[in-house]
Amino acid sequence: MDTLAKLQILSGAARYDASCASSGSKREGPSSGTGNTSSSGICHSWADDGRCISLLKILLSNDCIYDCAYCVNRSTNPVERASFTAREVIDLTLDFYRRNYIEGLFLSSAVMQSPDQTMERMVRVAEALRTEEQFGGYIHMKIIPGCSSDLVRKAGLYADRISVNIELPSQASLQRLAPQKHKHAILEPMALIGREIATSLVERKASCRAPRFAPAGQSTQMIIGASPENDFQILRLSQGLYKKMNLKRVYYSAYVPVIADNRLPVLAAPPLLREHRLYQADWLLRFYGFSAEEILSDDAPHLDESFDPKTAWALRHPEFFPVEINGADYATLLRVPGIGVLSAKRIVAARRFSRITPDGLKKIGVVIKRAKYFITCSGRSFEKPDQPPALIRQRLLLGESSEAPMSILPKQLVLPGLIA
Amino acid sequence: MNRYLYDGTADGLLSSIAWILEEEPDPEKVTLAKRMDTLFEEGFTIGTDATLAESLFFRLKQHAPDAAHTLYSFMLAEKEGMETSLLHYVSLAFKHGDKVKGYLTHPAVRDIVNVAQKAGRELHRMKGLLRFEKLQDGAYLAKMEPDYNIIHPLADHFSRRLRAQHWFLYDVKRRMAARWNNGTLQFGTIEQFTTPALSEDEKKVQALWQAFFKTIAIPDRKNPRLQKSNMPMKYWKYLVEKQGE
Ligand code: SF4
Repeated sequence: MDTLAKLQILSGAARYDASCASSGSKREGPSSGTGNTSSSGICHSWADDGRCISLLKILLSNDCIYDCAYCVNRSTNPVERASFTAREVIDLTLDFYRRNYIEGLFLSSAVMQSPDQTMERMVRVAEALRTEEQFGGYIHMKIIPGCSSDLVRKAGLYADRISVNIELPSQASLQRLAPQKHKHAILEPMALIGREIATSLVERKASCRAPRFAPAGQSTQMIIGASPENDFQILRLSQGLYKKMNLKRVYYSAYVPVIADNRLPVLAAPPLLREHRLYQADWLLRFYGFSAEEILSDDAPHLDESFDPKTAWALRHPEFFPVEINGADYATLLRVPGIGVLSAKRIVAARRFSRITPDGLKKIGVVIKRAKYFITCSGRSFEKPDQPPALIRQRLLLGESSEAPMSILPKQLVLPGLIA
Repeated sequence: MNRYLYDGTADGLLSSIAWILEEEPDPEKVTLAKRMDTLFEEGFTIGTDATLAESLFFRLKQHAPDAAHTLYSFMLAEKEGMETSLLHYVSLAFKHGDKVKGYLTHPAVRDIVNVAQKAGRELHRMKGLLRFEKLQDGAYLAKMEPDYNIIHPLADHFSRRLRAQHWFLYDVKRRMAARWNNGTLQFGTIEQFTTPALSEDEKKVQALWQAFFKTIAIPDRKNPRLQKSNMPMKYWKYLVEKQGE
């Protein structure tokens, strides 16, 4: 099979992986070599589905010995199989990078003969890129669950970001749908990576020549809707991953049936809206100072379909509002529906010069379409004050489809985690 | 209210701003415009002084690095007719430091920051969208037609990234070129541009990239609108993956 045919199979098989981020790492390239990384990340193209293309995202092989129920590459599914040689991956990466098509390589793989054998081949590609080819661009590598911790450590030394997919939100689901994968084989490398990252940060403070370990951090991905966990369980899991394992990102991918299997639910459509709401709730965890327990509870374990989680929270907490634009601190401003990080920062910055008038809010680019029910400007309300939440709810639902239409929302849309 | 004129060059603009900040008690009350040399033009013409222009930029950089960056991005846009706003912006930046970028309720600040942001955005975009082709002699060439004059910072970016390569950037509309070879970066203009021959394997690599571009998209999720809003069609001309569309 020639490289072109393999590329079609093995990039097609990788297309469902949500994470394309190439940010978070700043690597000065070797002077004799090729490439550096930029801490803000760069998109090089946008695919026909509108998603950013930043990395050459491929599987080393789709020839899998495992049989995960939700995956096209499962051993019992008759798809065409292919495997790259190390040389092919290296040449593709360099040829693309030199022409500025990509920021770097995203390498994953199905489990070929064993987790160790697969991971070893992946690590060899990264090692050759870094040492023989002096490649300084971005590398993201997936860890194959069950591989040795030595290989995990090695991967982290060559890659900017490494990730272990958590796949499913609970041990029970994992056992049912991916019986060859074990919870500890996923969590152990995650914990190891977390520790190594922390140590490397400490060592690098002492000496800038200490080796870097996955400078862009670790991320993970889980499939939503293939198993019965509720949103509260999922959010608490993510919260734990951010806090205890120091993860940079958790990616969610709405389950889309690729093959029939009686262990899997029959869905009319992939739960895209749910995936979208989870991403919104995840943002609240990471950037808005919310906890999972504020967003959901055992009595109300599902994210609201009609409102984003912040609006839903605001409607449940009328006592928190109205928030005074000219007085509230940054953290409080962030709790107002419709005021994001950028708007809150702009408000705080503009207040230094003069009180902000309603007109001034518009001038600095703050959209008050949904915020107007929840704020005052020097004591003045935009709407009739003290409207009952039920009424605000209705008005928010009616007047304005204040969210972008669904068609452009799920930038992260993903089918099941085909990736080991 | 005093009205000042300058010669229309970038150096002229910056040096007259420096001059006004020095001489005028209240720079936010005066206006500055390009001299048109019409018979009845009113205003006092300030001479151009490249050293003064440079020193203004460096002083601003020390005093308010963010604002200096905004000034730099604004200059890439080669915008005419906003000289007075720029003057007021720089004056405010010296007064308030980097906090000035939050002063969006001030019209001059808003205008300058907006233009600077647009130029900065195109620069960032081109870092991703620029495409090199390998030539017969082993050098790489990237052609582009950006709205703003971004070849300098763009070449800086690639001089850190593609260090081991011999490459050229060519701004087709402005006829400006940058060349990186053996660790040195040069700029110049090209009067007569003839497209050089491509290396033998170039078309093969392009075909691989086109194949990757096609397969990486999720087939049932075609979204041309989102694609175009992220990657406007004006940039497609030189995009390998968009040829023949
Ligand atoms: S999810 Fe990974 S391990 Fe499971 S079948 Fe697919 S490729 Fe193989």
